[in-house]
Amino acid sequence: MIKGMLKLALAATALLTISAVTVAQAKDTIVWWDFLGGGDGVRMKSLIDEFNKEHADTVEIQATTLDWGTPFYTKVQTSAAVGQGPDIMTYHESRIPLGISTGSLSEITPAELAASGIKSSDFEPANWKQAQGADGKQYAVPLDIHSIILYYNKTLLKNAGLLGDDGKPKGLDGVANWDAALAKLTANGVVGLSVPTADGATMWRIFYTLLNQQDGVFLSKDGKFLDGDNLDKATTAMTEMNKWVKSGWTPANTEYPASIALFTSGKAAFHINGVWEVPTMVDLQKKGSLFDWGAIQIPTLYAHPATWADSHSFAIPNRQGNPVDPAKRKLVLDTVHWFNEHSLAWAGGGHLPAFAPVRSSDDFKNLKPNADYASLAATAVFDPVSTLAGVASPVYDAAGNYIMPAMNGDLAPADAASQMRDDLQGQVK
Amino acid sequence: MILRNRRNEYITAAVLMAPFIIIYGLLFLYPTVKMVQLSFTDAPLIGDGNFVGFDNFVRLWKDRLFASSIWNTLYFVVLSVFPSTVLALFIAMGVNRLKGWVQSIVLACFFLPYILPVSVVYNIWGWILDKDFGVAQYVIAPLTGGQHINVFRTLPLFMPAAAFLTVWWLIGFNMLLFIAGLRNISTEIYEAASLDGAGRWTQFSQITWPLIWPVTVLVLTIQLILQLKIFDQVYLFSRGGRVDATATMVQYIYKQAFTANHGGLAAAASLVLFLVIVIFSVLQFQILRVRGADR
Repeated sequence: MIKGMLKLALAATALLTISAVTVAQAKDTIVWWDFLGGGDGVRMKSLIDEFNKEHADTVEIQATTLDWGTPFYTKVQTSAAVGQGPDIMTYHESRIPLGISTGSLSEITPAELAASGIKSSDFEPANWKQAQGADGKQYAVPLDIHSIILYYNKTLLKNAGLLGDDGKPKGLDGVANWDAALAKLTANGVVGLSVPTADGATMWRIFYTLLNQQDGVFLSKDGKFLDGDNLDKATTAMTEMNKWVKSGWTPANTEYPASIALFTSGKAAFHINGVWEVPTMVDLQKKGSLFDWGAIQIPTLYAHPATWADSHSFAIPNRQGNPVDPAKRKLVLDTVHWFNEHSLAWAGGGHLPAFAPVRSSDDFKNLKPNADYASLAATAVFDPVSTLAGVASPVYDAAGNYIMPAMNGDLAPADAASQMRDDLQGQVK
Repeated sequence: MILRNRRNEYITAAVLMAPFIIIYGLLFLYPTVKMVQLSFTDAPLIGDGNFVGFDNFVRLWKDRLFASSIWNTLYFVVLSVFPSTVLALFIAMGVNRLKGWVQSIVLACFFLPYILPVSVVYNIWGWILDKDFGVAQYVIAPLTGGQHINVFRTLPLFMPAAAFLTVWWLIGFNMLLFIAGLRNISTEIYEAASLDGAGRWTQFSQITWPLIWPVTVLVLTIQLILQLKIFDQVYLFSRGGRVDATATMVQYIYKQAFTANHGGLAAAASLVLFLVIVIFSVLQFQILRVRGADR
């Protein structure tokens, strides 16, 4: 009897072990690297949790968050070179040319995209194209479009007669109107506009916006920086930025956190910064410590609307000698599609979903303030396609070296423009 | 018999030293040799490149940014090494006069900044000096007629400010070395000197200074090597600003290797930095030793 019981127990244990093993085998894992800190990180983590819960029996994402910028891209490059690294990673679209040149990125074929239901027609053409190499091959799938926007204090604008009946600022287009608005708002200890004037990256985003509003080309197709009259347009953009500081409408040399504090404490009527600061404002308002505010697309100061933009996208690393196998690639691209379909939650971080069906959904149209500036996606201009451009690149360095001192009055705009051109041109191999 | 013993000793020595030699060779010598090789190629950050002879060094020679990075590094060294040594000696002499728990507390206060990681130092001073909200602006504003100044975005102030907070940060370690040196000086010497009618200044110049000289040489050398490799503080405070104008040598290497993907050029610059450090520290050590021996 006892012997029989023992046999049964053993058999049951064996059966359990086997089934446990098969379950473990059936469940795939996706190794995931991203550079998303702060509010973005929290939001992405909850999306990943949702994904893992929904796919509890089949797939599990094992996510690691690394340091943003140069450290992230260096790690990706070195790990890919020795056949290590993740199955999927986040990647700035602006950084793709450098990723291709260092062999860090693996091409995603049209057949693979189609098999996972990813269609180029679901994305803004400029946004989709930015994820391609010069040869037209696709290296990433966009998740969002993030840009700079104009935050505004409704009370201060209303007092100055600059608020329309729809609660949005009015009469800001054109340099003359814009300047007049800043001048009017600068009074009683309040400045018209706060921007992180000590931060080169922000300088780049504003400069590139103003340059493109004049149809300026930063880098020509034949590889020339600020060629011909583009140099004058660059000077015009920097002269305008400098005017805001020189006229006392914008405080000079303000650090990034301080520039936000100036706006949130009511000491600045406008604030230009990335959409990623939307959660900062939303959270403050929830706590009841922020005035009535809004955000719109950057006004059109010159010929036509244009706004600097970049995009968080998903890419597959080109792991040398240990490539991500085809079945895993299919799974990864299915996952990418899932995240795009669920990118409404990601929009809570201020971003605009790259996936058009989400952006045109009613849920998104009711999402404030995103819906108020979603129009910028259609005229968004992405960083120049070059190994010298993109986040944490020589172009960003150049913005700190030349555009920042030009805006703050430490360097004449015309000199800054020509020095920046010569510096970048000298770095072309 | 003696011969055999000696052989045994050799074997024991070899066994005891082997782990160190292997690790040293693998993690230091081998990479160093590879780096020298790399400096003669046009390799990117990862992977091999073609042999280009002395091209990288010629490029460095012509590069204005490299020249200014050497100048910036030397400027920073002058601003940080000497003040941190002299101040540390003064503080050590002061602390040495205190007794009991008061001494321990004062000692701890001066040493505390040293244990902070550089990121914390960066944040502390970033907020103290912040142009809009920093407390230091209450000191700065009266000097400039009410103007607030972003210290790290004003080029002439950048290096002095970076050096100032480096001295604040690292002085505790130098001070400890000096205190150890001061405690080694027998009190009997001072007692004998005061019996002979030597005043404070005579005691310092004739007793303390000569006897503390070897420690001073040590501190100066450690500081020199450390500050020639300056990177962290300068990198953090110049981020997003005029990085080229304030770049130091290690920053130049970092930029070439990790931002511009020029592994070969970065290796060549590293080699130059290595030689600069060797030359300066040997020179300094020899000069100071000779001076010490004269006394």
